[in-house]
Amino acid sequence: MKATPLERIAILLAALAIAAVLLFPLYWIFLTSVMPTSALLSRNPPLLPDPSLVSLDAYRALFARKPMLTWILNSATVTLATIALTLAVSAMAGYSLSRYRTLGQQAAGFALLVSKMLPPALIVIPFFILFSFAGLIETKLGLVLANAASAVPFTTWMLKGFFDAIPRELEQAAMIDGCGELEAAWRIALPIARPGLAAGAAYVAIVTWADLLFARTLMSRPENWLVTVGLQSFMGEYLVDWASLTAAAIVSVFPVMVLFLLLEPFLVKGMAQGATAN
Amino acid sequence: MTAARRRALIAYGLLAPAFLLVAAWVLYPLWVVVETSLRQGRSPNIARLSRLPLGPDNYLRAVTDPEVWHAALVTAGYAVGTIAPAFLLGLGLALLLDREFPGRRWVRSLMLVPWAVPGVVVAIAFLWMFDASYGVVNAQLRNLGLITTDVAWFVNGVTALPAVILPTIWKCFPFFVLTLLAALQAVPPELHEAAKVDGATAWQRFRFVTWPTIRGAAALAIVLQTLWAVKEFDIIYATTGGGPARATQTLSLLVYEEAFQFFRFGYASAVGMLLLAACAILSFLSIRWSRPPGS
Repeated sequence: MKATPLERIAILLAALAIAAVLLFPLYWIFLTSVMPTSALLSRNPPLLPDPSLVSLDAYRALFARKPMLTWILNSATVTLATIALTLAVSAMAGYSLSRYRTLGQQAAGFALLVSKMLPPALIVIPFFILFSFAGLIETKLGLVLANAASAVPFTTWMLKGFFDAIPRELEQAAMIDGCGELEAAWRIALPIARPGLAAGAAYVAIVTWADLLFARTLMSRPENWLVTVGLQSFMGEYLVDWASLTAAAIVSVFPVMVLFLLLEPFLVKGMAQGATAN
Repeated sequence: MTAARRRALIAYGLLAPAFLLVAAWVLYPLWVVVETSLRQGRSPNIARLSRLPLGPDNYLRAVTDPEVWHAALVTAGYAVGTIAPAFLLGLGLALLLDREFPGRRWVRSLMLVPWAVPGVVVAIAFLWMFDASYGVVNAQLRNLGLITTDVAWFVNGVTALPAVILPTIWKCFPFFVLTLLAALQAVPPELHEAAKVDGATAWQRFRFVTWPTIRGAAALAIVLQTLWAVKEFDIIYATTGGGPARATQTLSLLVYEEAFQFFRFGYASAVGMLLLAACAILSFLSIRWSRPPGS
């Protein structure tokens, strides 16, 4: 169906209007975070900001009163380590599944199914028990292992899809030129699968950064909290300070948002593959 | 070493780290939770958990516990209430994004943004928007004359479940957009042209050209997202914590509360295993039903 230029503009405008409505919650917490409390506690809050009232006080107060920076660094450390571990492990497994016939084929499908069905609220119970015995409670390593193990089945499947799209002949040509099998995988296939690695990294980042359940249960000291746990602790307070809370929400959502908007095309491809492959 | 054995070694060697990780941190914990679910009695000291006697008591108690059945009902309502509207919204947006228009890549990115927003942040945004006294939603409803007294959306027993469903829809509709859009782009445009030439209406083109080709992807997306909604914890926990008076207590929240508030690890594990079993049955049945006949 070829649309006329006028129709295309109309579709664009309609789509933008819908996007504006859908993104209103984010707009609203952003607006709240830059408004003084007096303007917030209004019976009839204006939908558009009064530019003269805009202030960053809530952000200043947030960083002054709460260990926000520590929480963000904790989240970043756990997320980056989880990405590294998950990608390393699932790139190898995904390559193996794509190139060799092994018993891994069925095992991987089974693992994917189990990981889709396993309630996090259930699996966190044995994590808590095992981590207590292994001394992994209150450690970032424990969280990284928990998150990586939950993500690996899906990212492996996703990366297998990306490797499947690379013709085998490329590696075979390299092997004729004297490359070993693993060297060909490393030097030829892996660089071409870079969009897949980007998609996998974005997926793991979004899921790990958002994790509340594992982080809350396996880390109880405030200096070990991740940013999600910190945010949730604000809400338990007697009087919720909405300006600080929304400022904290904006700060914590900013990194994933940037990552998402940059890597969205890869992610969409990978997610669609991962969701249709089986 | 023969070439075949060398290849097998490489193939399994590459799989080994993933297998070890999943075995150590998914399969073994699963075994531990099954064992825990068979430990009768209660011990806040987890070191003594393994000394409790084994038996089926937790399961027997769980299936006769009205609280569990209530939570199961809430879970079903929560999942259906989330997935049906999220699917329709996602399908509508996917059809829109399947059209050609300038800036489509960026509009698509914007519409998928909620998927990347952490559940806690979603919870904060909706709690604030639906705040009884200062929330923008109540203010607008008052302005429109739809309500005269403030509605405490997350605190009122009647409105609490819809109130937690709404942010959940918001977080999960992008998944439907994404998967359905991918499926739609596999529909050959010539089919639409041909149907149009034959005089098919827009609805007929959707019903007889588009829908049959995306049906499989749609069914799979519904199954995956239903499982996700059944397991969802963050949004409910951060908005209502299961309240008021258990009105939003899904099985996931019940399991968590039993384990980490009351330290009944055995009972929590048993209820959780029943939830896992329900998820397994649900996915096997729906995969069977959604398969087109004959395949």
